[in-house]
Amino acid sequence: MTTQPTTEQSTATTEQAGRFAHSTVTEATGRHVAVQDLNAYYGDQQAVKSFNIEYEPNKVTAMIGPSGSGKSTMVRCINRMHEEIPGARVTGKITIDGEDLYASSVDVTAVRHAAGMVFQKPNPFPTMSIYDNVAAGPRLTGMKGGSLKERVEKSLRAAALWDEVKDRLAQPGIGLSGGQQQRLCIARTLAVEPEVILMDEPCSALDPIATLRIEELIDELKQRYTIVIVTHNMQQAARVADSTAFMLDGELIEVGPTERMFTKPNDERTEQYVSGKFG
Amino acid sequence: METRVAFQEELRELEERALQGLDMVVTSLERVMEALQHQDVELAEMVVEDDDRIDGRYLEVHQGILSLLARQAPVATDLRLVAALLDVIKHVERMGDQCVNIAKVIPLTGHEPPTDRALLETLAEMGKHAASLVEQSKRAFAERNVELAQDLVTRDEAINRLQREAFRIAIEIGDDMDTREWAMTMLLVARALERIGDNAVDIGEQTAFVVTGLFREFTDASHPANV
Repeated sequence: MTTQPTTEQSTATTEQAGRFAHSTVTEATGRHVAVQDLNAYYGDQQAVKSFNIEYEPNKVTAMIGPSGSGKSTMVRCINRMHEEIPGARVTGKITIDGEDLYASSVDVTAVRHAAGMVFQKPNPFPTMSIYDNVAAGPRLTGMKGGSLKERVEKSLRAAALWDEVKDRLAQPGIGLSGGQQQRLCIARTLAVEPEVILMDEPCSALDPIATLRIEELIDELKQRYTIVIVTHNMQQAARVADSTAFMLDGELIEVGPTERMFTKPNDERTEQYVSGKFG
Repeated sequence: METRVAFQEELRELEERALQGLDMVVTSLERVMEALQHQDVELAEMVVEDDDRIDGRYLEVHQGILSLLARQAPVATDLRLVAALLDVIKHVERMGDQCVNIAKVIPLTGHEPPTDRALLETLAEMGKHAASLVEQSKRAFAERNVELAQDLVTRDEAINRLQREAFRIAIEIGDDMDTREWAMTMLLVARALERIGDNAVDIGEQTAFVVTGLFREFTDASHPANV
């Protein structure tokens, strides 16, 4: 049974819900994401505890922490995917530019347009061509014809994949290499013009070269988006993130500029974790 | 469960090898000061030859640190320690070179040069202070003792005062040309000893960096008023 999410501390009104009141897309640009006193549960088990953080526009924030620390759950709360799990619920508040994502009037589809997700394993739609993989999202909003073609090309270019696939757009997406498939998934995410990009271990299934290409892409994408990336790879966090947040047992232990987090963290537990002494 | 045991052991050994370099400097310094006091050219030559051991230690630790950085990607306190060790071993090498500089001037002054007792005593005093400072810098680093590291500045002041004293003696040493030439050479020795003191203070600054994560110069030569 799917439990409806509760937003006990949510105070947003219909008017405040703004662009999330119905499914629309907006101009792509980074937005300010604020998480306030967020708690996330799987049944009786609390995965995220009294979590507060702010994700700055046009910055990359890395979420690090041991397995089971609540990083992925936290990120999935931002685009309301957590609530899709049976028994899951959320309390607290998440806003994008002040608009509450959990307000009762909010259209969940619009939230997921605004906050796109890239997953650990590249997951192109297996029966679809490269073109259709990217076009699928915009088609759901009624886009077609020339503007759809433009959107597909623009998205593939933004994902640094266009030059490699422009002559074989009709071929299956699953025929691409792992790194190309992940960039295809990023293009698919970009095609609905999100404001925030959430990445959950986007490079863990990729080889080092493909990983570096994705990291370069992340650096380019942050010019237009707010990016949150969950990673177990400390060096990846150090390379790509402007800020790094360390989670442990569902709690935010420390967040700060990445350079400081990897040279002089404030909390002893962060020091121990980033030094590889546990986790 | 403790992890990265091999890495921690490797880092500990690198620190030990780097700090042992300071012991080698003290040995070199004591020998060259003895050579100076007794005009012992052979001992001075031995100091020059032995500097290869200090240079070898520099290369060994430097290579070890590069390898550790490449393979283990240390972060946080470990990263600060690695960065500090790079600095420490550089100072070890430079202090070794200062001992060589002193050793090389000893034969220049001739077999039985005219000497001045007060100037030689001043230099001997500087040498003792410098050796003691190097030892203290090693202890401060090994114990991560910021207070002991900061105390190096006060003790380095004594060397600086003695250097000024050596300068004054040299100026007033008289009209004999050979004696004046010898005194000028001894000022080079004083300068080398003063630099060893400065290097010891620099190691103290690295100690504070490892402990606090903030690098700041204990003294600022370009803004002496702030000292």
